[in-house]
Amino acid sequence: MNDSTAIRPKRTTFLIYLLPSVILFAFMVLVPVILAVRYSFFKWSGGPKMDFIGLDNYMTLLTDSLFWNAFLNNLLIVFFSVFGQIGIAFVISIFLMSKVVKLKGFHRTVIFIPVVLSSVVIGFLWGMIYNQDAGMLNWFLQTVGLESWIRPWLDDPKIVMYSVTVPIVWQYIGFYLIIFLAAMQSINNEVYEMAELDGATGFKKMRFITLPLLSSTIKIAIMLCIAGNMKAFDSIFVMTGGGPGSSSTVMAQYAYDTSFKAYKLGYGSTISVGIMVLSVGLIIISQLIGGKNRD
Amino acid sequence: MTKTGNRIGRIGINVFMFAVSLSCIFPLIWMLYSSLKTEREFSLNIMSLPTKPQFQNYIDAFEIGKMGSYFWNSAFVSFFTVIFTILFGFFTAYILARFKFPFRNVIYFMFLTGMLIPIHGLLIPIFIEFKALGLLNKQITLIFPYVAFNLSMAIFLFENFIKTVPLDVEEAACIDGSSSTRTVLSIVFPLCLPVISTAIILFFLGAWNEFPFALVLIESADLRTLPIGLTNFNGQYTANYTQMLAAMAIVVLPVIIVYLAFAKKVMQGMTAGAVKG
Repeated sequence: MNDSTAIRPKRTTFLIYLLPSVILFAFMVLVPVILAVRYSFFKWSGGPKMDFIGLDNYMTLLTDSLFWNAFLNNLLIVFFSVFGQIGIAFVISIFLMSKVVKLKGFHRTVIFIPVVLSSVVIGFLWGMIYNQDAGMLNWFLQTVGLESWIRPWLDDPKIVMYSVTVPIVWQYIGFYLIIFLAAMQSINNEVYEMAELDGATGFKKMRFITLPLLSSTIKIAIMLCIAGNMKAFDSIFVMTGGGPGSSSTVMAQYAYDTSFKAYKLGYGSTISVGIMVLSVGLIIISQLIGGKNRD
Repeated sequence: MTKTGNRIGRIGINVFMFAVSLSCIFPLIWMLYSSLKTEREFSLNIMSLPTKPQFQNYIDAFEIGKMGSYFWNSAFVSFFTVIFTILFGFFTAYILARFKFPFRNVIYFMFLTGMLIPIHGLLIPIFIEFKALGLLNKQITLIFPYVAFNLSMAIFLFENFIKTVPLDVEEAACIDGSSSTRTVLSIVFPLCLPVISTAIILFFLGAWNEFPFALVLIESADLRTLPIGLTNFNGQYTANYTQMLAAMAIVVLPVIIVYLAFAKKVMQGMTAGAVKG
């Protein structure tokens, strides 16, 4: 901030520059947060009749097994994403930084493709891959003689969460790969050369140089991973719609069903508040744990 | 002994990398070539290449499946989302980067926290708000939330960049009597083009692919964007896989083309928030 008086615009111009964003942001983010809190105290189905019921919705939410089941489903996705996305991306980025792998540019470009695709399309594509009768996965298992592995991937409540998690993990590996590659490229090569002189080999270099120097990047990646997967919705909505039953329902899906299928907008608002509190809480907890580990 | 071991390791790593790459691209390739098959051909063998490629599925997707209308709606919403995000974000970032004023830090902090707010929690309250304001189901409905949610990122990116632009030229121009708007548009804006182009790609892809808000805030079939159109398409033609695949290709092809043309920029744009500089 230099605050040069020579270039300072007139008062009106100043406000015209500044205010549209502020007003729009307030109107689309701050007001809705306040609205969500307000309506969370009402029993309301969207019509003119609204009953103030105090904390009843919150009491219901605390014991609502469907909601907590949905939260656990989100946690499951977060868990597999933190290890799957970040873990696989980390391994791949080490391979791509080594001299061993050929066609690095090709791999990088291709692995990033799923990131830019609509997750609705990803959902439909994997829905077709998982299709029980005409799906690619069962076709493949049959072709290689593993008939006993054939499953109704999206119709078995016991495995459906794992089935819907795979495409989510798969889609964003490229995202973390690019983040890690950018961070690794910024590590000074001399550090590695010094280590090599001291006799460090591939694995040791990774464990004692790359990993520690990347710790802040990994922390950011974990935070993005949690934030991103707490809002998992699109591809699951397309693949299963939360079913069978509620076995693959995530929090956003549950808020959607409650508000627009059961028309409980008051309780839907309570769930929205719950989503916000749990997501932000989880991010804060992860940062606290990460901070402690580093010291 | 170690030499052959090394060699096997090398080959193994390369094979692994190809397997990963293949898994990322094969579903897309399969989608594209299968969309050229007839429904009958597809049901006989889901993996085979089309014996005689034909575009009837695409024609049907446009004519029966209304993909043309969805495409136009997506293009409209994405275009204006990008324009307004860049415009609002740029001028606000300029003010935040250049001047001290009351509440400057409050405003800056507000936009910064915007990046952490789980927007899925806003789905239902925004629906309620829009219903009260009569803003549901309009051609411009989706532009409001899309621009608002992008603003945090836009301001973060632009503010960081503008801070690195030296002041001298602006000051000279203003002393010579150029109005501030003119100075900003003719001097600062062009200097920011690298970061603006990155932002354009990021916001375009975000708006083009966005699903939950489009699902909740738009009811009219004529105003649906492509991702919603697709889910609707599925309901109408559950059995017809090849038409569905053609519709999916219509959604994905513009994105793939943009990506292949500007791969570096796209990667930069999508990871802009996480990577410094």
